[in-house]
Amino acid sequence: MSLLRIQQLGFCLIALLLITGCSKVDYVKVDSPAYLRVFNNLNYEKTLDSKDQEVPFLAMLIDPVMDEKGIPVSTKIMGDFLDQRAPYAPPYPSHIGNSTSVNNPEYPGKEDVLVAPVLNGFDLSSWAQIPSGKHRIVFMFRPKNNVPFFNLEPRLKTKVLIDTTIVLDEKEVYTLNVLQKDYQTKKNGVLLRHENFYKLPLSDSLVYVNFYNLSSKGYWEAGYTEKGANIGSKGALGDGIRDRMNVFYTLYRKSSTESVVNNYFGKYLGEIKRNTGEPDVSPYYSFPLFADPLSDGIRTDIWQRLDLLAPGMDLASKPYSGIQMETDNNWAPISCFSNGTVPLDVLRGDENYVLLPNMIVNIHSGIHNPRSFATVNTIEIVNGKAYLTTIQRKYAPPIYK
Amino acid sequence: MNAKLSLKTLLLLLLFFSACKNDNLEMVKENENIRSGADFIKNNYQLSLFSAAIEKAGMFDQLNGPGPFTFLAPSDAAFNAMGILRASDFDKMNRDSLKSLVQRHVLGRKLLLQDIPVNGVDVRYATLAGTEVYASLASNFRGDPSQVLNYLYFDGAFVERKDVPLTNGALQLLNKVMKYESGTVQNWLSKRSEYSIFVAGLKKFGLWDKLATAGPYTVFAPTNAAFISGGITASVLDALVPAAYNGNRLFGAYILDGKHFFISDVQVFSNFGSETAYLKELENDTWCTQLSVTQANDKSLRYTLRLKKARTGFSYTTSSGGNSSATTVDYLTDNGLVHSCTGVIAKLADARK
Repeated sequence: MSLLRIQQLGFCLIALLLITGCSKVDYVKVDSPAYLRVFNNLNYEKTLDSKDQEVPFLAMLIDPVMDEKGIPVSTKIMGDFLDQRAPYAPPYPSHIGNSTSVNNPEYPGKEDVLVAPVLNGFDLSSWAQIPSGKHRIVFMFRPKNNVPFFNLEPRLKTKVLIDTTIVLDEKEVYTLNVLQKDYQTKKNGVLLRHENFYKLPLSDSLVYVNFYNLSSKGYWEAGYTEKGANIGSKGALGDGIRDRMNVFYTLYRKSSTESVVNNYFGKYLGEIKRNTGEPDVSPYYSFPLFADPLSDGIRTDIWQRLDLLAPGMDLASKPYSGIQMETDNNWAPISCFSNGTVPLDVLRGDENYVLLPNMIVNIHSGIHNPRSFATVNTIEIVNGKAYLTTIQRKYAPPIYK
Repeated sequence: MNAKLSLKTLLLLLLFFSACKNDNLEMVKENENIRSGADFIKNNYQLSLFSAAIEKAGMFDQLNGPGPFTFLAPSDAAFNAMGILRASDFDKMNRDSLKSLVQRHVLGRKLLLQDIPVNGVDVRYATLAGTEVYASLASNFRGDPSQVLNYLYFDGAFVERKDVPLTNGALQLLNKVMKYESGTVQNWLSKRSEYSIFVAGLKKFGLWDKLATAGPYTVFAPTNAAFISGGITASVLDALVPAAYNGNRLFGAYILDGKHFFISDVQVFSNFGSETAYLKELENDTWCTQLSVTQANDKSLRYTLRLKKARTGFSYTTSSGGNSSATTVDYLTDNGLVHSCTGVIAKLADARK
């Protein structure tokens, strides 16, 4: 090959490098971010009574620009298709990989946005980065379809659910709940909770849980059929619980209700109070991850049963049986078992519980498959439904042999 | 040799000529219009009255056109129930209102059962008249996908036969004619003299004006005959002192505020879950209006209206109302619905303070 040829080839190569090498990547970055997660707690059952009410399928607009008629034309941050929240809010945004629907059970959820980093060991990838400071936040009703909010006809962009402002501090973690404040007047509102779990000295050998009752005022007093009776299998919780309740917990082994872990039957855990006004963080209660003496300290198959009981009652003295769906709002059991969809093996007349996933996360980590991890949990009771939010620490990646 | 060659050439040439004979092949052309909408309806003996309505409204050619259309076609039995027994009965109708009636029964799209959302309620579709029909579908029993029902209603009319394929769309056979009148519930009631006692009562107790507002309202309107047999004649009502009676019990109990119920809605929701009877407390009262619906074997519906003295228990007033006729319920207006009621649920004694 002649020298000229080699020179030509080299020139071409350099030219190619010069052309392609300089592509510029614009990285998305949020300056001084706060971390926000949003839930739509406006749950409903499809009943004859509720059929003519507006369906709470929402579009969240943060710092929107409105035209002179009050119709939004653009927004800085958009959380579209915000559906009723799912019973389980997992520690990582898994919704996007698990469904083909646009309906989003939480924000950010399926939204493609920057998420929070690992803070004090906690994986906060379910929290979105939002610029800190004061924001106008508007929740609007939108029709239940696949059309993005700003592509809707103008007449469909006029129904405002809530128009308010929130203040977010830098590098702080917030959970925003859209909820109903009064069951009779149907007044709605938001509750911004400034989380503190990432600042507490929480042990990784204890499972933590705290409780909120975000039910609307007057829910439990309302008629059972008006609330949809047992549509949607809401168990005894469907009728609502009283404003102040005690929480007892029991730990069981495997799927059998027979095998209670010794010393963990009907233990008092704490208190749950109805609160839709104050953004206070409830105290965290705990139980040991390896409460079962038969476990090997790597994995455990215990599951949790929570009994919400009116003050003065305990598991032995409650005058109701497990098949009663109406318990005068005095008793509502919750079973945290498996992934929250598998019914318990042994029923023993036990039918009025609500099923949620196990609070203990079992997952392949390091050489152990599975390995059990303690988590930090929040259980929220909203108008006859229970929601579990699990936060998990970052864990060692699996090693495949 | 030469002669032989020329003979061969000649033969070959002959072959060329004869091989290229190309007769025009005549095929029987299939009639592609056999199942276009208007033709299909005309050829169907069960739909002769709807076909007559289409022709008299001058829409035959349009509805035979490319479409797509969905015909929500009421059967002859449905027209018969309204008193339309033969095609000539349509001559008594105003041509424009007949045209609007036909247009309200045709959608400008092809709508099959599979296009309607599973267990969808009040799914609205635009008609050729510019109005909307409300489709409600009970797909399965209590959310169990293995117990398929597929009970479909348009504006309270049951679909007896679904998804008849047409070249320009589809046909759904209805068991009754869908009724609509523009204007409010108040306009509807004031136009009809057979509800004059009800109207007078609503006016007397201050319940009349709200019926002109946005609503929606569902009104169970007792006829004059019902009031008279219940002891409330026009003269009794005239003499009545409003302060001595509970107007909500006497007249307000027939109105459901903020509700848009076809009679079929109660049936659809009873398939979804537990509600077999709908209870609604009267304003500032513990008494409830109770609406229940029963379905006969032929899928016709009958509603019963009662006044219950408490949400729980079994204490009712002595009289009850209702209607089993498909033709005098589900009158759709712009701010709600009116259902004719053949009895009163509260007599004077029930409402005396």
